[in-house]
Amino acid sequence: MELAWYALLGLFFATYLVLGGYDYGVGLLLARGATARRTALNAVGPFFLGNEVWLVAAVGILFGAFPTLEGELLSGLYPAVMGALVGVILVTAGVQLRSRPHTARARAGWDRVIVVGSALAALGWGALLAGLLQGVPLRADGHVDGLTHLFTPFVAAAALAMLALVAAHGATFLTLRLPAEDAAPVRRLARRLVPVAVTAVGATTVVGLLSDRVRAAAQQPLAAVLLALLLVVALLAARTALARNRPGVAFAATSAALALPVALVGAALWPWALVSTAEPGAGLTVADAAASGPTLRLLGWLALPLLPALLGFQAMCWWVFRGRTDGRAPVYW
Amino acid sequence: MDTLLLARLQFATTTTIHFLFVVVTLGLVTLLVGLQTAGFVTGKPVYERLTRFWGQLYVINYVLGIATGIVMEFQFGLNWSGLSRYVGNVFGAPLAIETLVAFFLESTFLGMWIFGWHRLRRGVHLALLWGVAFTAYASAFWIMVANSWLQHPVGYEVRDGIAHLTDFGALLTNPTLGFAFAHVVSASLVTGGMLMAAVSAWHLIRRTPDFALFRTSLRLGLLTAAPAVVFLVGFGFAQFGPVGRLQPTKFGGGPDRDALVAEWTARFGSGDYTPPALANVGLGFMILIGFTLFLGTLLVPLLWRDWIIRLRFPLWLILLALPLPFVAVILGWIAREVGRQPWVAYGLLPTEEAVSPVGAGVMLTSLVGFTLLLGTLAVTNCVLLARHAARGAADPALGRPPAPDTDTHPAPVFA
Ligand code: HDD
Ligand code: HEM
Ligand code: HEM
Repeated sequence: MELAWYALLGLFFATYLVLGGYDYGVGLLLARGATARRTALNAVGPFFLGNEVWLVAAVGILFGAFPTLEGELLSGLYPAVMGALVGVILVTAGVQLRSRPHTARARAGWDRVIVVGSALAALGWGALLAGLLQGVPLRADGHVDGLTHLFTPFVAAAALAMLALVAAHGATFLTLRLPAEDAAPVRRLARRLVPVAVTAVGATTVVGLLSDRVRAAAQQPLAAVLLALLLVVALLAARTALARNRPGVAFAATSAALALPVALVGAALWPWALVSTAEPGAGLTVADAAASGPTLRLLGWLALPLLPALLGFQAMCWWVFRGRTDGRAPVYW
Repeated sequence: MDTLLLARLQFATTTTIHFLFVVVTLGLVTLLVGLQTAGFVTGKPVYERLTRFWGQLYVINYVLGIATGIVMEFQFGLNWSGLSRYVGNVFGAPLAIETLVAFFLESTFLGMWIFGWHRLRRGVHLALLWGVAFTAYASAFWIMVANSWLQHPVGYEVRDGIAHLTDFGALLTNPTLGFAFAHVVSASLVTGGMLMAAVSAWHLIRRTPDFALFRTSLRLGLLTAAPAVVFLVGFGFAQFGPVGRLQPTKFGGGPDRDALVAEWTARFGSGDYTPPALANVGLGFMILIGFTLFLGTLLVPLLWRDWIIRLRFPLWLILLALPLPFVAVILGWIAREVGRQPWVAYGLLPTEEAVSPVGAGVMLTSLVGFTLLLGTLAVTNCVLLARHAARGAADPALGRPPAPDTDTHPAPVFA
């Protein structure tokens, strides 16, 4: 039962990183220049609101099914969560409001807000995942001690790697969605960004392998290394697909690259959800962190019929607005 | 400054901003459903124009609901980790249900609704708006279930110092839930209706060309707000029953309160178990505002033969009364939330045990940061709302028929 909920939590957060990830990637790419912004925002358009709810739902599952983990995870990694949260808010407000004012200056200002927010969100989520992987100083009384534990080279490397991943993913998404004539320049950009992401992921892996804390915290090192390799393979596959002009395959590959870090952290720490660096036994196992039986059963009966509906309506959204955007695509953001 | 005070201040500021916007969302979406359905049934173009104009204001308003809502959700874990630790098994369930049942679908539907004009069949497009409204009410309901549980914990048992869920049904039949939910829903209908009436009144005062259109929305707004006020006041007074019985420390003294304080002193040790005086002051003003708005329903007969527009001064009254419901909702929440102090979960978990053990410096940074961020966004959003409301219904961007290139304002090269 706990495992199923843990997997569901991972699924929602990973889907958020995939879907929200391209929002932030496109957001970062707004820095490229004015003319491309309109079309880029149009490409994200109908999906934008449906993407970030995966985060809201993931936190809901975290609170409902893993209340203890929620409290310690969020308050223990406060700076990372706060950074990500500020980023998410800036992007949410920026994308939805940028086209409301009529002056070009105000719009350019909002666009800058979107760029900064996208960067913060990517860096924050990268730091959060890395903070989990290197363990937190959880004391025997169950609270996390201090916040300086977060500031390590590994966290910095992972945050930057997430930024690179998100940028490459966003460019790949645009390659898939933009009108054919606009897609060529983004495709070239995506092909340049993917190697940057590969380098960043590789560097993070090396820093992680060198870090005592990460080595001590990883309970399943083999799984962690394998999944990191898989991540690099996915990125290389994306590069090949972009070179052969197969944007659909490339997007699937970069999507996998954004989902894999979540799987990696979950698998590496298993059976722990939160590993303590302060006292070996003080961490939280997945079973400890879960809500008690009646709560999980109640949520389970609810989720069973609901999940198909949630996925169905999201799929409906993707289906209705599938394909490349064109001059007739509705403009709103 | 201690962490507890800062965390409370942060919760109060963010929820207040959140509620100011969601109360409008909840009210306006109901009116929009009416407008779009009327357009669908009658096929009259005025309803489509009304839907586009009010829909655009609704969507702009919605932005802040999302932005602040996300902060609220994270805040429980960031600042109130004790809440999830001790009562998360029970309190977390309605919140989790809410995110899955309501928010998830609400935003998905809304995204499709915004971009679905001229693309989806009209029936499907209308169904999406019904979906948005339905899920918005569901979200308000589940949030109120969670909040009512904090007001009056039921359906749990404490084992090893942690609350476990025993009876979910009890959460739904919580005596502090029913009247409060009805009161909140009426409050949002009053607020949404008054907003619609006030914006229309402004256009009618200025004699903007769209007379027929704003006349319709003035009537719709007033005819929604007026009956809703009656329910609002009714459910407001009805709340005193359960609240007085279950929370004797909330509004003043009496033997019940002394008995409860004595019991708590025996169980939790001595302490100050009475809420700050702040709570009751707000209550009085809210009731005053309630009566004022109730008197306002006297304007409704003036709708006959458009006397309300011809006389003009009623339009000014409506415009000037617009801040009242917003003030009242904040005061009402302060009465409810401050009134349950010093408990997070009444009689079960003291507020000071719920706060996260982070340093005061971090909490202060978070408070100042989020207050500035959300405050700025809220002000910007209100300015945008006012501008778009003032611009009139000539050509809102929402639902504009597709054209080859609509962006006539190219942004300058990014510096
Ligand atoms: C338009 C806004 C508005 C207006 C005019 C009123 N209220 Fe109200 N009131 C609210 C909006 C509100 C609210 C914001 O929606 C609250 C906060 C919590 C809740 O359940 O509703 C609330 C709370 C609230 C509470 C606190 C419940 C608790 O502590 O659990 C009481 C006793 C009343 N109201 C009573 C009244 C009475 C007797 C009114 C008029 C004669 C009145 N309210 C007008
Ligand atoms: C319905 C969902 C809500 C829940 C679950 C909720 C929960 C909480 C929690 C956990 C706290 C902090 C702990 C405490 O001080 O007791 C709090 C405080 C507070 N909330 Fe709410 N709240 C809700 C709605 C609102 C709304 C909509 C408002 C205002 C518009 C509001 C106003 C306040 C205020 C003013 C405080 C500070 C009280 C004090 O510390 O003295 N709340 N609430
Ligand atoms: C009585 C109090 C509350 C009511 C009536 C209410 C209602 C709503 C409504 C109608 C929305 C939809 C968005 C919008 O309208 O702009 C919304 C958004 C949201 N609310 Fe609240 N809310 C309340 C308190 C809370 C609390 C205490 C939380 C914290 C868990 C919360 C979390 C959220 C979140 C996360 C969103 C954004 C969802 C999205 O992305 O669509 N709300 N709220």
